Amino acid sequence: MIISSLLITLTSSLAWQQADERELVGRATAYRLDRIETLDGDALINATVLVQDGIIQRIGKVVIIPEYATVHDLRGTGAVMTPPLVLSHANFLQSDRRDGGNNSRFIAADSLWLAADWQTGLWEYGVGMVAVDPPGNGAPGRTSVLKVAASEKRPETLVDDLHLKLDMATNSSAKNLIRDGIKAAEAAIENEIQAEKDWKKSRKEWDAKKEEEKQAAEAAKANGEKAKKVKEGDEEQGPPETFEAPEIKDNEQAFVDWVRKERTVQVHMRSASDWLHWMQIMEDREENYEVVFSMGSTTNLHEVIDSVVTSGARIDLPARMSFLPYTRNRVNIAAELVAAGCDKLILSPASNSIAGLRDLRASVSRLIAEGLDPAIALRAITLEPALAVGQEEVMGTIAIGMPASFVIWSGDVFDPLTEVDSLVLDGEEKFNREQFESELLR
Amino acid sequence: MKTILHLILVSVLCANVNAQDQDSSYLAIVGGDIHTVTDGVIMKGVVLCKDSRILKVGKRVRIPEGAEIINAEGMQVYPGLIAIDASGIVSGRGAAVADSYDPYALNIDLALAGGITTVQTGGMVANLKHGTIDNVLVGPTEWVNLNYSSTSSAGRRRVRDEFSKVRDFMRLHRSWELTSSMGEDAGDEPEAKGVKPEYLSLLKGEATARLSANSLKDLLATCELLEEYPMQSVIFGGQEAWACAGRLGRVNARLVITPRNKKWASDDLNRPSGWTIENAKTLWEHGVRFAILPGENSISLMGLAGRDLMTLPMEAAFAIRGGLQQDAALRAITIDAAEMLGIDHRLGSIEVGKDANIIVCDGDLFHYRSFVQWAVVDGKMMYDKQRSSYFAHIRPRAEEVIDEIEEETIIDAPEVVDNP
Repeated sequence: MIISSLLITLTSSLAWQQADERELVGRATAYRLDRIETLDGDALINATVLVQDGIIQRIGKVVIIPEYATVHDLRGTGAVMTPPLVLSHANFLQSDRRDGGNNSRFIAADSLWLAADWQTGLWEYGVGMVAVDPPGNGAPGRTSVLKVAASEKRPETLVDDLHLKLDMATNSSAKNLIRDGIKAAEAAIENEIQAEKDWKKSRKEWDAKKEEEKQAAEAAKANGEKAKKVKEGDEEQGPPETFEAPEIKDNEQAFVDWVRKERTVQVHMRSASDWLHWMQIMEDREENYEVVFSMGSTTNLHEVIDSVVTSGARIDLPARMSFLPYTRNRVNIAAELVAAGCDKLILSPASNSIAGLRDLRASVSRLIAEGLDPAIALRAITLEPALAVGQEEVMGTIAIGMPASFVIWSGDVFDPLTEVDSLVLDGEEKFNREQFESELLR
Repeated sequence: MKTILHLILVSVLCANVNAQDQDSSYLAIVGGDIHTVTDGVIMKGVVLCKDSRILKVGKRVRIPEGAEIINAEGMQVYPGLIAIDASGIVSGRGAAVADSYDPYALNIDLALAGGITTVQTGGMVANLKHGTIDNVLVGPTEWVNLNYSSTSSAGRRRVRDEFSKVRDFMRLHRSWELTSSMGEDAGDEPEAKGVKPEYLSLLKGEATARLSANSLKDLLATCELLEEYPMQSVIFGGQEAWACAGRLGRVNARLVITPRNKKWASDDLNRPSGWTIENAKTLWEHGVRFAILPGENSISLMGLAGRDLMTLPMEAAFAIRGGLQQDAALRAITIDAAEMLGIDHRLGSIEVGKDANIIVCDGDLFHYRSFVQWAVVDGKMMYDKQRSSYFAHIRPRAEEVIDEIEEETIIDAPEVVDNP
C-alpha cells in the first residue's frame, strides 16, 4: 500500500516535471499578446501565457511553447488580456425583492431567475463572476457568488451564503433595524455563553455526584454489602456529554455571525449623512463591513471622503462622474477617494442591469479621463471585487498556478470601441465574438 | 490697519493665559457690537466660547492661545435666531429627528444663512449644524394641541368638559392630599379615571397649550378659556390680537404672529377688525410676549421672495415699521421664542453659561442689506458666508478679497529653478 502510494507520488511528480513533453495535444494553449494586464505586478508587454489543463503554467516574455500546443498569436492586433470583470453586487438576476424588516435569513441564490442566455449576456461584456445581492431594503438577506461558467442553466455557485446585506438610510427605521439586529445578536451570544456556563456547572455537579456514588458503592462493596440494583430506565438523566448551544433564530444568525466577526456586512447607502449615521452606529464597534455607495448622479460624498478613507473599509462606487449638490459642478468621487488614500476601491455599473454592464467600461473611461489612474480603475473592476467576495484564488489575476480565466479585448480596455474578442474560463473558451456574431446573423 | 492693531491687542491679551485643558476648543468673536438681548449692547466687545458654551462676554476678555478668532470688527453680534414651528429643515418627529438629521441638507445651510440656528419641528427643538450629527437635539417641546376653533361649538364644549373633569379630579386629589397630610385616614389615592393626562399636565403647569386663533371672536373665546382654566399658552395667528391685547396680557397668553399680514377692517362688523402692521407694537405695549413666524414656515426659493423662513428678521422688521421697538423685535425672534419652547435657560441670549449659538451680521439684523457673515452653533463655526456657494459672491468680505489677492500674487510669482 505504502509502496504503491509512493509510486504514484513519484510518477506524478515525474509527470509534472515532464509536463511539456506530455502527449496531451490540444489541452495546452498559448496566447501571445502585445499587452497582458496581469494584475499581479506590472503589465507585460509582448508576452505569452501558456495554459495547460485549465491552469496557467507559464507566463512571461520568454516562454517555451510545446509543439502540441495550440497557439493564438495576437501580436500586432492590439489585443489586450485582462482578468475577467467581477461584479460585486449585481441584483438583476433575481426575481423577488424583500423589502423592509429583517429578512436576513434569505440567501440570494435561492431566488435566482435566469434567462436561457444569461451567461452570454454577461460574457459579452467580459464578466466572469457575479456576486448577487438579495434585492430590497432593510436587511434583505445574504449575498451569493456565481461563476458564470457552468454549461447547464443553473450556474456554478461558488459561495451560497456570503455577506449580510444591510440597507442604511438617514431615518429611524433603517437605523433601528440595524441597532435591533446587533442587540438581538449580542443577546443571543450572551445567552449562549450563559448556557455554556450553566452546562459546565451542572456537568461538574453531576460528575461530583457520580464520583460520590461510586465511592459510596465501593465503600459498600468493601463492607460486603450488596450494591443496590437500579432498574433499567430508572437511571437518572445527567446533563448531556457535550455542550449543545441553544438554537439561534434564523433572522438572528447572520447578525450573530457578523458580531462574532465571522461574516462581513455589505452596507448600502446613498449620501454623506447616511455615512455619518452609520459611523454613529459603528462608533465603538469593530465588526467588518464594506460600503456600497449607491448614490444617484448628484452626490455630497465629497463631504465625508476623509472619514470614509480613515475607516479603512472597502468602498464600492457606481462608475460615473457625479455632480455636487445644487450646482452642476462635476466631481470624480473615485479619484478623490484614491487621492485621499483609499486602496480598496470597487467600481460597479451605475445602473444595476445588463444595460449598466454594457456602459460600465465607457463610464470608467470618463473617470479615467477626469483623473482616475487607469491601473487602479482596472483593478477596481477585476481584482478588488474578487477580493471582496473572497474569490481571489479563482479569478482576478493572471499568474502562474491560477485558473486560466481571462478576457481578450480587441484593444485598450477603456476605449469605448473595444469589445470582448474572447472570454476564457478555466482554460475553456466560453465566448468568441466572431462565432457569436455569425450565430446572430444566422 | 485697525484690524491688525486690534489683533495685536488681542494677542497681547492672549499672553499668560494658558489653555489649561488642551482638550477644550475656544472660539472668540472679537470686536463686534454684542447684542446680548438680556443685558443691553456691548460695543466692540468679545464673546469667548469654550466648547459648546459661552465662557465670557465683555469688553476686555482674555483669549486663550490657540483659540479660533472671528474678527467681527464693525459687525453686529446676535444670539442665533429661533424659528418656532419650522418645517422642511429637519424632518421626523420626536427622537426620530436625530435619526433623520441630514447635516448636509441645503435647507440647513440656508437657514443658517438667514441667521436661524435653532428650529422647533415635530415636537422637538433641534440645533442646525453643518457636517455633524452629534448633539443636534436641544430637547422636546411640551406642547399640547388644543382645538378650540370657532367653527365647532360642540368641540369647544368638549374641551371645556375635559378641563372641568381635570379640575374636579385635581380638587379631589388636593383634598385627599390635605387630609392624608394631617394624618387622618383619607382612603385610597383618587385615581385619574377618565381624565386626559395631557390636559392634566396643562393645568398642573407642566405643559403649554398650543392654540390657534386669528379673529377677535376666537381670541376672546380663547381668553375666556384661559381665564377659566389658567395655563401656559401659545396662540398661533393672533391677527386681530391688537383689539384685545389687554385681555390677552391678563391671561398671560403668548402669541406667534406674522406682522406683515394685512387685511382691511370689515364693514360688516360693528367691532374692531382687520389685520395691521401695528399688531406687534400694541401687543408689546400691553405686556404680551410674542414670537414671529414669516408668511411661510419653510424655506422656499420660489414664490414671493422674502416671505419664507430665510427672511425671519425681515418679518420682524415689519413689526418695527409698525412701531415696535427694535429690542422687542429682537427678543421676539430670540429669547421670547426660546421661552415659549422652554429652552430660554440654554438659548436666546448671549450670556455666560448659555449654549454658544451666535450669529455675526455685517450690519443691523433688521436691515434688508445685511448678511449673516458667520453662524456659530454649539461653539463651532457652522456657516461662513465666504464659503457659501449661494452668497459668497454678493458683496464679499473686504479682508477676504485682500487675502485672495495676496494668494494670487504668490501663485503668480515666477518659480525659482535651480540652474545646474
